[in-house]
Amino acid sequence: MTIAVVETWIEEPLKRFVGDARVRLALLLHTSGQVVAQSGFTRAIDVMSACALAAAIHASAGELGKQLDGKPFHVLHHAGKSRQIVIAPAQTKRGLYIFLTVFDQESSLGLVQLYFEEFAKRLADAAPAAEPTPVVLAENFERDLNRNLASLFGR
Amino acid sequence: MSATPFADTLALLTRQRGVLGSMVVSEADGIIVDSNLQIGVKGNVVAALAASLYRKARLSAQAAGLGTAAFLQLEAQRGRVCAVGRGDLLLVTVAESRANVGLIRVELMRAAEVLG
Repeated sequence: MTIAVVETWIEEPLKRFVGDARVRLALLLHTSGQVVAQSGFTRAIDVMSACALAAAIHASAGELGKQLDGKPFHVLHHAGKSRQIVIAPAQTKRGLYIFLTVFDQESSLGLVQLYFEEFAKRLADAAPAAEPTPVVLAENFERDLNRNLASLFGR
Repeated sequence: MSATPFADTLALLTRQRGVLGSMVVSEADGIIVDSNLQIGVKGNVVAALAASLYRKARLSAQAAGLGTAAFLQLEAQRGRVCAVGRGDLLLVTVAESRANVGLIRVELMRAAEVLG
């Protein structure tokens, strides 16, 4: 199990989640699509794609939920033939994060939901006091993304 | 909301002496399909973990060449979790230590017929 984090306070909650829920992949990102932690990915390009897609799905689902239900949808689950994906928001003092995880028959939706609740609590408890949120500017996005990916993959 | 086909079966199981609740759970997902639980029983948690346990027990029995799993009983310090499965559905019962496990087993095996 390979876990890489941009900020160290995320490591322990993520490690516990991956170990308990027996998931294949896990990804924590800002709502802007900037990665902050990953487990199971071997290539930076895959993390980049997954982050972009997860942020887009979260934004679309949030808006759809607001229109249909008056509030954003909380957890999204898609079941494939052999793998399933869950995308869920995790609120901390540092702001809102998006959590994406992929699992197969080694786990189940029930287990992922159960351990995600614990993960979200641990993450919220571990989060240091809020820092002034830097504005994500389009011109800085790629630089920040590359910095985070370099931090995760050691390049 | 109308009652599910499992409502009567679950009510019957939960009426047994010492039984704290019973659930129909999807084995693959670990999600509750229907339940009849006393207050304080963490249904979602038990369902997710019991389904995972049952799946592994079923696969272990198959791997050992013992055929299909018929009945699973987990005995803990203050009670028991019992489960039987048919297809992708499980019937899970949570009971106190004082509950008659023999009776629960008979009722569970009988009730499992409604799972199809």
